[in-house]
Amino acid sequence: MPRTKSEAMTDDPERFEELVREHQAMVFSMACRYLRNRALAEEVAQDVFLQLYRKLPALESPEHVLHWLRWVTAHRLIDHSRQEKRRPQSPLEDAPEPASADSISSADPLLSDMLRDLVAALPENARVVMILRYQEDLDPMDIARALDMPIATVKSHLQR
Amino acid sequence: MNLEDELRSALRRENPSPGFAERVVARAHSSAKPTRAIPRMIWAMAVAAMLAIGFTSTYEYRQMKAERASHDAVIALRIASEKLNLARERIVRREN
Repeated sequence: MPRTKSEAMTDDPERFEELVREHQAMVFSMACRYLRNRALAEEVAQDVFLQLYRKLPALESPEHVLHWLRWVTAHRLIDHSRQEKRRPQSPLEDAPEPASADSISSADPLLSDMLRDLVAALPENARVVMILRYQEDLDPMDIARALDMPIATVKSHLQR
Repeated sequence: MNLEDELRSALRRENPSPGFAERVVARAHSSAKPTRAIPRMIWAMAVAAMLAIGFTSTYEYRQMKAERASHDAVIALRIASEKLNLARERIVRREN
């Protein structure tokens, strides 16, 4: 029986690693922008890829993998922040990580940092919409599809 | 730069710490090997087979109980008939 591409990737550690390398910046950056904590973002990103590893045989194409990764990352982040709201936190855990080397190379590091803080302060759904719009450069229709959200809701989050 | 460009620049992708992919792969391979989810068809067939076995067993059990009851009834009738015959013979003997 012919095997699908994703099945072959599961069997081959190097190909799974390639897949992680291909998508790690997307998944990690979504988590990092959402959580404003690099260590926590890496943890969430690792969990997403482990979930991908288990799910790979059911994913049919690279596009399916990409769509699945965006969907799972977004929902995992929303769930994570909802759980965090219910749990009392120490002030140290709340503190954002220092800016990375990448962000220092921005045109205006102070403004970039302020914008990241503003995005991180948005409600869960609006935050994910903003990240998909400006990090992933998705149009409102693709965001609605990625999050199973009505297009009108996506547009209203973007217009606020 | 306008606000949209500033947002794009502020939220652009960045890479996790070096060795991230290796750590993920190591964790993935130390955990259980992925298993293909059992297709719904197989679940449906298993449930159907279990139901069929259940119905057949119930039917067979009832059938067996009915056969045993009719067998017991035949024996009871035979015993009753033998006793009646004995009683009739005794009466006949006394009358003679």
